[in-house]
This record gives sequence, structure tokens and C-alpha cells, in this order.
Amino acid sequence: MQTSTIAGAARPTLARGVRFQTDSKTGNSVLLFPEGVLELNETAQDIVTRCDGRTVSQIIQALAEEYDVDPEMLGADVREALVDLQRRKLIEFK
Amino acid sequence: MIAPRPYALLAEVTYRCPLHCPYCSNPTQTRNNQELTTNEWTRVIREAATLGVLQIGFSGGEPLARRDLSDLVRAAREANLYTNLITSGISLDEDRVRALRDAGLDSVQLSFQSDNRDLADEIAGTRSHKRKLNAAAEIRAAEIPLSLNFVIHRRNIDRLPEMIELAESLEAERVELANVQFYGWAFLNRAALLPTREQVVRAREIATAAKARLAGKMDIFYVLPDYYEARPKPCLSGWGQRYLTVNPIGEVLPCPTASSAIPTLSFENVRTRALDWIWRESESFNRFRGTEWMPDPCRSCPQKEIDFGGCRCQAALLTGNAASTDPVCTLSANRGLVDAVLHDANASTSHGHWIPRVDPIR
Repeated sequence: MQTSTIAGAARPTLARGVRFQTDSKTGNSVLLFPEGVLELNETAQDIVTRCDGRTVSQIIQALAEEYDVDPEMLGADVREALVDLQRRKLIEFK
Repeated sequence: MIAPRPYALLAEVTYRCPLHCPYCSNPTQTRNNQELTTNEWTRVIREAATLGVLQIGFSGGEPLARRDLSDLVRAAREANLYTNLITSGISLDEDRVRALRDAGLDSVQLSFQSDNRDLADEIAGTRSHKRKLNAAAEIRAAEIPLSLNFVIHRRNIDRLPEMIELAESLEAERVELANVQFYGWAFLNRAALLPTREQVVRAREIATAAKARLAGKMDIFYVLPDYYEARPKPCLSGWGQRYLTVNPIGEVLPCPTASSAIPTLSFENVRTRALDWIWRESESFNRFRGTEWMPDPCRSCPQKEIDFGGCRCQAALLTGNAASTDPVCTLSANRGLVDAVLHDANASTSHGHWIPRVDPIR
């Protein structure tokens, strides 16, 4: 899937069997899934914590407010991160 | 060298198993008369979590042979671990699945011997195929993520397309097509299990095509037949780096096959030592940690941080020296040992008899 094809109205959520939690060893966020562990950087963590039923547009808007930047600038990066997570089957779009 | 933090614990909770697969990686000679108790496992699980472990795989033998398995899963969830059950599925009925799900089980890896019932039952040495199909349906009904595992060898490798079809029809999220690795019973039965080169080439084509066809729908993991490779597998991502195993009697192993493959190494037991100490300080975990132990050609090899010299157990089994380069590597002075085995495997297309796995003495 190309990044541009993710509809703003799509709702990303964690895929079945994927758990989001804090790594008590490092304090960082991780995704746990059958084959392993993905350690999330701060941006990825900010995105994943908002994959809670909101639309892609709403997530971009919320992050733009949080970082105090233009949503236009942020959109491509957020979409790219979401596509990457989807390709790893860690999130799915509803 | 300073010990890194481990990510995953393989909990081999029992060597008992109702199946008799000739490729089992369990030790061929072992005792099973002093399995860790529920309380001991609970302590091990907590110690592992403190050490940094994030994932636990319940394996064996057949972990369902333990009646307290749900209690162990619950203990693991309470310790915030991601819980996998690695099972043959025998006796995994509706009640058992529900109990495990309620305990917090995150995912199941279900083994199959073939797509074909007669062949599957012959390989398993018992009527089990139909019960596995039922188990898969129960796991699906409970909405637990499902992976299938097929161990691939001389007798079933030609049925790869049908096995992939079975995984599709059971709606597995993931299927592992794992060429047999030669440890334990599989090492004993190597001549009967090793495929021909022609079989291997064909299987790789089929797996590659299926991977592309099913992308986004079902993940396919193809485990290479390492005897046919030129470079060794990056075993465990390095000795004592990410993984540890606790076997049924409490021995802590850098690799599940180490206790039988490397008789010169002695292993600490959770009954007498803290897990943290064993991971960081013990001789067995430090012997092959990092790259200092390496002989040439590994020591001066640009691949040494990629494949870590291959598999210590394989080196021990084939050369008698666990510190030698994995003989799979074509740079190894011992590669001839592997080539001789391949030569025999390709001398005919018939298949010999194997010795079925039996449970350890109690």
C-alpha cells in the first residue's frame, strides 16, 4: 500500500495478538507480538498510543497540536509510520 | 563481557509428549523424574521478568501434559510477559482453550506433521491429525492468534503446496515451514530425514511464490535447510544474547539443545542458583558469549557479527568441539563432514527407517 492511499477516514488499531506496554527495563514503549518485540521510538509511541479508534486525520491533527506544527508537514511522516506498522502486521485499518 | 538483557524465555515445562516425531529436538537420553513444580516455575517466571524478559514460550515435550499450565500462563501474564503456547494440540479441547485464554494466553503455535492424515499420523506415530484440526478450530473460536508449524523433511517436503493450503484453510495468521534441524532425535534419524537437493530447490521455489501470493494475508516463515547453505545460521542471534531456556528439571540453557549436544559444558539449575546470576555470571552462558572465543576462520571473518560463528551445538555434534566453526560454513575446515552427509542423502531418492521418539525414563 502506498502512503498516499491511506484514507484520512481509516481507523488504525493494534492488530489482534499485539500488545502495547512499557518495558520496565528501559521505560520505553514496546509492541509485543507472537514472533518478537518492537521497541518504539518517541514518535512511533506517540502514534501508536493514538491508534485507539480515531481516524488517521484525527491522529495527525492531535499530533500537530501536540508538537505545535502544521498538520500538512506531519501527515506524510505519520502515514509512512502507519504503513510500516501495517506491513509488519502490528496495526490494521478499520 | 557484560551480559546484555534477555528478551525471551523458552520454558520447557515437561519432556512428556503423546507424539513420537522422529525429528524431535529433545534429548534422546534424559530423565524426567524431577520436573519443576508450579511454585518453582512461578519463581522462575518472575525472576526472568526482572531480568528483562518480555516473552515466554511454553514448550516441551507437550506443555499441555502439565495440568497446571493455565496457572503458569497466568503467572506469566501477571509478570507482564507475552505468552506463547507451542503445542501439538492433542487434548486442546474447548475447555482447555477457554481456561488458557482466561489465564491470558496471547498466542498459540500449533504443530502439524503434514496436510495428509495418514502421513501425518505415521510421522507422529499416533493418530493425532484429526485432533489437531479440532484444536485449530477451537483456537480460532476463542479468537487467539494462531501460527502453524510444519517441520519439513524428506518424507513430507514434496507436499509443501498442500501444507500451505491447509494453513490457509485454517485461517492461520502465520505459518512456519521449518526445514528439520539436526539435534536430538533428528540427529539420530538424520539419514531418514534429510531431503535431496532437488527436493530442497523445489521447496524453496514454492515457499517463495507462496510468500508473495499471500503477502498481507498470511505470513510465511521459511526456515532454511542449513546443511544445504554455504554460511551458517545466526544461531540464537548469538550465544547468551537474547534467549534463555529452562528445561523441565530446572537447568538453564543458552540453547534448548545444548544440554545434550555439548556434554563438556555443565549447566546451572534454578533450584540452586538465581536466574540473574546464571545469566550474567555462569560459565555456560559466558563460554561463547561475544566473539572472543572464536577460532579462525571466524575470528577474522567479516561475517562474525552476522552469523556469530553459527551453531555451537552443531559444531559439537559434528566435530566433537563446540568451539569450532559451524561445519555448515564452506570456510570451515570441517565442511567435508556436511558434504559427506549430503552426498549420501542424494545417492538415492528412497527413504530409510527412523527411530520414533519415546518419552524419557521417569
